Amino acid sequence: MDDPRIDDFEDMFENAPCAYITLLPNGRIERVNKTLLGWIGHTAEHMAGKRFSDFLNMAGRIYFETHIAPLLRMQGFFNEFAIDMVTTAGEPLQMIANALEGRDAAGRALFTRLALIKATDRRRYEHELLQARDVAKINLQSERETSELREQFIAVLGHDLRNPLASISAGARILGREAKSDREHQVIAMLETTVLRMAGLIDNVLDFARGRLGGGITLDRNTRRPLEPVLHQVIDELRLASPGRRIEAEYAIDVPVDCDRSRIGQLVSNLVGNALSHGASNEPVRVRAVTEDGLFRLSVANGGEPIPEAAMAKLFEPFFRGEVRASRQGLGLGLHIAAQIAKAHEGTLTVSSTREETCFTFLMPLR
Amino acid sequence: MRVIERNNVHVRGSGGRSMIFAHGFGCDQNMWRLVEPAFAGEFKTVLFDHVGAGGSDLKAYDKEKYSSLAGYADDVVEIGRELGLADAVFVGHSVSSMIGALAAQKAPGMFGKLVMVGPSPRYIDEGDYFGGFTERQIDELLQFLDSNHMGWSVQMAPAIMGNPDRPELGQELTNSFCRTDPDIAKAFARVTFKSDNRADLGKVDVPTLILQCSDDIIASKPVGEFVNRAIPNSEIVFLEATGHCPNLSAPDEVVAAMRTFV
Repeated sequence: MDDPRIDDFEDMFENAPCAYITLLPNGRIERVNKTLLGWIGHTAEHMAGKRFSDFLNMAGRIYFETHIAPLLRMQGFFNEFAIDMVTTAGEPLQMIANALEGRDAAGRALFTRLALIKATDRRRYEHELLQARDVAKINLQSERETSELREQFIAVLGHDLRNPLASISAGARILGREAKSDREHQVIAMLETTVLRMAGLIDNVLDFARGRLGGGITLDRNTRRPLEPVLHQVIDELRLASPGRRIEAEYAIDVPVDCDRSRIGQLVSNLVGNALSHGASNEPVRVRAVTEDGLFRLSVANGGEPIPEAAMAKLFEPFFRGEVRASRQGLGLGLHIAAQIAKAHEGTLTVSSTREETCFTFLMPLR
Repeated sequence: MRVIERNNVHVRGSGGRSMIFAHGFGCDQNMWRLVEPAFAGEFKTVLFDHVGAGGSDLKAYDKEKYSSLAGYADDVVEIGRELGLADAVFVGHSVSSMIGALAAQKAPGMFGKLVMVGPSPRYIDEGDYFGGFTERQIDELLQFLDSNHMGWSVQMAPAIMGNPDRPELGQELTNSFCRTDPDIAKAFARVTFKSDNRADLGKVDVPTLILQCSDDIIASKPVGEFVNRAIPNSEIVFLEATGHCPNLSAPDEVVAAMRTFV
């Protein structure tokens, strides 16, 4: 046998690294190359004159008739389609093909040429990608459903926890009006303190659960209504609930603050609550809220032992609890949530702690 | 949602009578580009895309509604009402032949004549009935459709959906005809190839022309003859054209047969 020649076009057609098929306008095979014969196992004589679709699997036949044939007539070509032929052994011959229609001057079809390459691996890869996508879709759907259930559960839980607390609070207020002895007053004050602390804990737990599961903390910003009365109210409540402790407050809010007022109230409540728990009981907690240099600055400071170096890094992480007496022990969510509220306002919450004082500072841009 | 935009309806031609063309599975109203012009002189011609195909509004695709051919027939009736069609000629290719039969029953008087190009009331063999396919072969087709996305990608969808009036946006892409969302194409294939409308044929009470191709593996000769026997007032014309789309491969033959009939 002679060596193949570089300029032998007959050889280039017959033994090309792809299969060639020429079809007549009626869909019957005019010619195929040796490459295809090698892949499919038929002889040239067997294939000539038969319909191209006779050598396709049924899915391929339907696809060819409903998609490829009409598109070839309309645009004259059709590229990159998947098509499965069937070998003499009955095995699928998975291929990717391009087709081109030859036309006369009047636009009538003269023939169709197909170039096909084997694509077994590629098709397996595509199939696996599709499967992975389907699995991901199903998982995502189930995750969404679970997450919705959790949200509902949190909402119901919050409602159910707050209701009995409201009853206790109302009862304590009624008793408070009729209380006579110092002891009675003391017990009722203690009840009110506990109710306030409990309400704060519920808020924090619900926020934490939502913040983690949903889209973080959402804000209801309002510049028209003043912030100061909200801060007053929060601090007054904390004063009432902490007899014997001093909370000094100083306000200089000269411009409207574009914030969620109840969230800022929650932030202050968490910071002051933290200062009361950890600060020296014989020193005041100092709250300062000012607008200056395009910023809203709110600081809460207390005296007492500084925060240990090791604790500083973990201060704003959830469930971090400093060393305090058991009765003041919280869930360790207060500072975490305060930091989240700061973040939601595009602000920052930082801390400095020295022998003189420990000070938390919330800064947010005024817009 | 207005019907005209939803189904990408185009009205052309002039004349007292109307002729509405419905495409089958695998393409869109482009399917009629070589046939419709022949009738635009004497008929008001109406072209449209089924929801999910061509330039239709994909947002209008409702899985539930389009899980049976009746949903597609409802759309045809809505288009007919919108355009005030009466005694019109309905020309359906492939699966749209059955959609036309259903629409004619839903809205008596709207269609005076039906033309069915390559009709099949049931593709799957059953007992003595020969449809040409087995249930398993149709399931294989549905799987195989995943391998061919017809130049469609998810990234492209917004451009096509948002700019039906600006086809130039899609011009660089190959296969600019007959593009369709793969998921919808698969659902349409399922409803097309798994439907059974044999019982509806007897209820067709308008003159019907069946155009039967030679060598059509989708709707073969025995199937066309079954349709002819089942529809009381029908006639069948055997075309020399081969394959399943004579409206593209042999438009002259299709136009001639239709002209004699209408």
